[in-house]
Amino acid sequence: MEQSAAYLGLIPLLPLAGATIIGLLHLSSCQTCKLSERTYGILACIAPILTFLFAIKVFLDLHGLPVEARQISYQAFTWFKVGELDIAMGFFADPLSSLMLLFVTFTASLIHIYSIGYMAGDQTFGKFFAYLNLFLGMMLILVLGNGPVVMFVGWEGVGLCSYLLISYYSEDRANVLAGNKAFIVNRIGDLGFVLGMAFLFWAIGGSGFDYISLKANAHLLSSTTISLVCLLLFLGATGKSAQIPLYVWLPDAMAGPTPVSALIHAATMVTAGVYMVARFSFLYSLVPTVGLIVAWTGILTALVSAIYGMYQDDIKKVLAYSTVSQLGYMFAGVGLAAYSAGIFHVFTHAFFKALLFLGAGSVIYALHHEQNIWKMGGLRTKLPITYWTMLIGALALAGCPPFSGFFSKDEILYLALATGNPGIWLIGVLVAGMTAYYTFRMIFLVFHGSPRDQGLFDHAHEAPTVMTVPLIILAVGALFAGVLNLPAIFGGGQVVSHWLAPSLAELHPEASHETEILAIGASVVAFFIGITIAYRKFGSGAEVPVFTGFASFAYHTFRINELYDLLLVRPYKAIGSAIEYFFEPQVTDGPVQLTTWFYRAAGTVFKLLQVGYVRIYAIYMVIGLSLMSLLLSQSLK
Amino acid sequence: MILDYLVLSIVLFCLGILGVISRRNVFTVFMSIELMLNAANLAFIALSRLHESMDGQVLAMLVMAVAAAEAALALAVVILLHKHTGKLDTNVFSLLKG
Repeated sequence: MEQSAAYLGLIPLLPLAGATIIGLLHLSSCQTCKLSERTYGILACIAPILTFLFAIKVFLDLHGLPVEARQISYQAFTWFKVGELDIAMGFFADPLSSLMLLFVTFTASLIHIYSIGYMAGDQTFGKFFAYLNLFLGMMLILVLGNGPVVMFVGWEGVGLCSYLLISYYSEDRANVLAGNKAFIVNRIGDLGFVLGMAFLFWAIGGSGFDYISLKANAHLLSSTTISLVCLLLFLGATGKSAQIPLYVWLPDAMAGPTPVSALIHAATMVTAGVYMVARFSFLYSLVPTVGLIVAWTGILTALVSAIYGMYQDDIKKVLAYSTVSQLGYMFAGVGLAAYSAGIFHVFTHAFFKALLFLGAGSVIYALHHEQNIWKMGGLRTKLPITYWTMLIGALALAGCPPFSGFFSKDEILYLALATGNPGIWLIGVLVAGMTAYYTFRMIFLVFHGSPRDQGLFDHAHEAPTVMTVPLIILAVGALFAGVLNLPAIFGGGQVVSHWLAPSLAELHPEASHETEILAIGASVVAFFIGITIAYRKFGSGAEVPVFTGFASFAYHTFRINELYDLLLVRPYKAIGSAIEYFFEPQVTDGPVQLTTWFYRAAGTVFKLLQVGYVRIYAIYMVIGLSLMSLLLSQSLK
Repeated sequence: MILDYLVLSIVLFCLGILGVISRRNVFTVFMSIELMLNAANLAFIALSRLHESMDGQVLAMLVMAVAAAEAALALAVVILLHKHTGKLDTNVFSLLKG
């Protein structure tokens, strides 16, 4: 039984309308008639805050329904209808999308507010907020879409906004290239998504192409088709959510403004892939082998990017690799059919990673856009609010009990053990230790010890209230969000898992209490080892290291960019030049030139007929009409 | 009987065409066009008589009205052309040459 609710359509519409209004205001403004930043800021914050209120309403409405009937939907209009393909612009909310909706609109609201402070003085202040609102609208279409096609609209839309915002400071060529890279790499993933969608439609799309019909018809699919569809969709997810082999764009995406990194490249957009896998859990749960591929890809990505993270010297790059690494955990979770654990990690990660990025933004803002952690140090006294909130975020990321990250990460690791995948569990624990190490390496280098650059240190100052308040709110979230899904062993009720249960086709592996205690114990030990090593090395000041051997290799991210350049970009360019310098002039140009020659010759002949005297044209007319009459009289006979 | 009228109409029409094609003076060309229109009118009226209906005659009246309007417009154009070039020879106006 489905409930209809027209306000669902309003949720994506509000930010899109906001983007249009702000964009038009920005385009129509000139140097002298510019609106004040305050006006733009207030206009921009209306849409996210209203959508957050709507998100609460969606949650409450769903909560009011009986567990089995927790679905509301709204069909705005028929988008297109060709043969069997009948796609409606419809929106659909169930427990899974309502949870996504809540934290997306919540973090988006806070980051919009924070951006008012961070972007102050920017020349194109209005444009920034137009893009940010547009992003939110697209993200909400992605989350609320009632089928793969509508989801794909949002999927591409957020990709576009990501591109626009990465190359936001477009005076610098490097930023534009980073934007291009993100866009092109995502396109490879999108190809997988489109193909997956096409196969799915070809197999069972005829009788309805929305999630509900697909779920009902999933049993008609052969397991080969499901595997193929799931693999192709996962390729899409690796692009959007930065997994091996398509993760290379995310670190470069840090070229964008820091609030963008927090919102798009940490909290919301990059988790779209995890959301998509969870959304298609009714397919993924039928093919455990593909699930294992997903899980192993995830955990290997987590490992590799954690290694990179340990050697970076740009504060945002450290956080970027940690995002890739945490996304790896999420995929390990959903790959092992522990969908609610994966989504719960998405949920807590949104809080603490947005917090860390906004904190990093505050540090960068205080140091006049210095991002190198080797030029920071001792900022604890200068930026107390940033320090304490970031410390909470770091503890949550590193998985320190009882912060939120501990519970969500531990849930995934425990389930890896419970489903009989000790390999994934071992790597996961290792990565947990590495996470603690690189997170606290960053914290110690930035906030502890003595200042490395006295000039920068002297000018540092705490950010304005409009930036610190979102930090504090997010810190509260990072601290307590884990309590929402407290496992039974700590006396909790796993509220989030129970809430999500109707949306997900989840397996519930049985495991002993000893396994659970082993998983928790290992995580805690890994955390303490990581933080201890970090403290020993960086706790009381450290000099800029000279990387050699493996460290240098890791610092250059295993030279993976160079490898891709060598294996993919260069051959591609070589094919391009081969076509330009050989194929085109030698092969195709001939026939093409021949047709132009033919037209030119015909033109020369027909030109003779055009004498320019009206009476000659009259003769042509008479001849033509006579012939037509003749033909007509012939055919009438 | 009807055939006579139609033959006369065709002869007049062909004379008109001949005039348009062979003559170079703008006024003669113009008069030839009028001749063609009136040849058509003659055919209309003859056939209207044959079918004993008024349709053909109504059309003939319409053609006359249009011809009058066209004459007014065409004469104005001719005057402008004459002012512009000082000639009435159609061969002078050969801007359509490709």
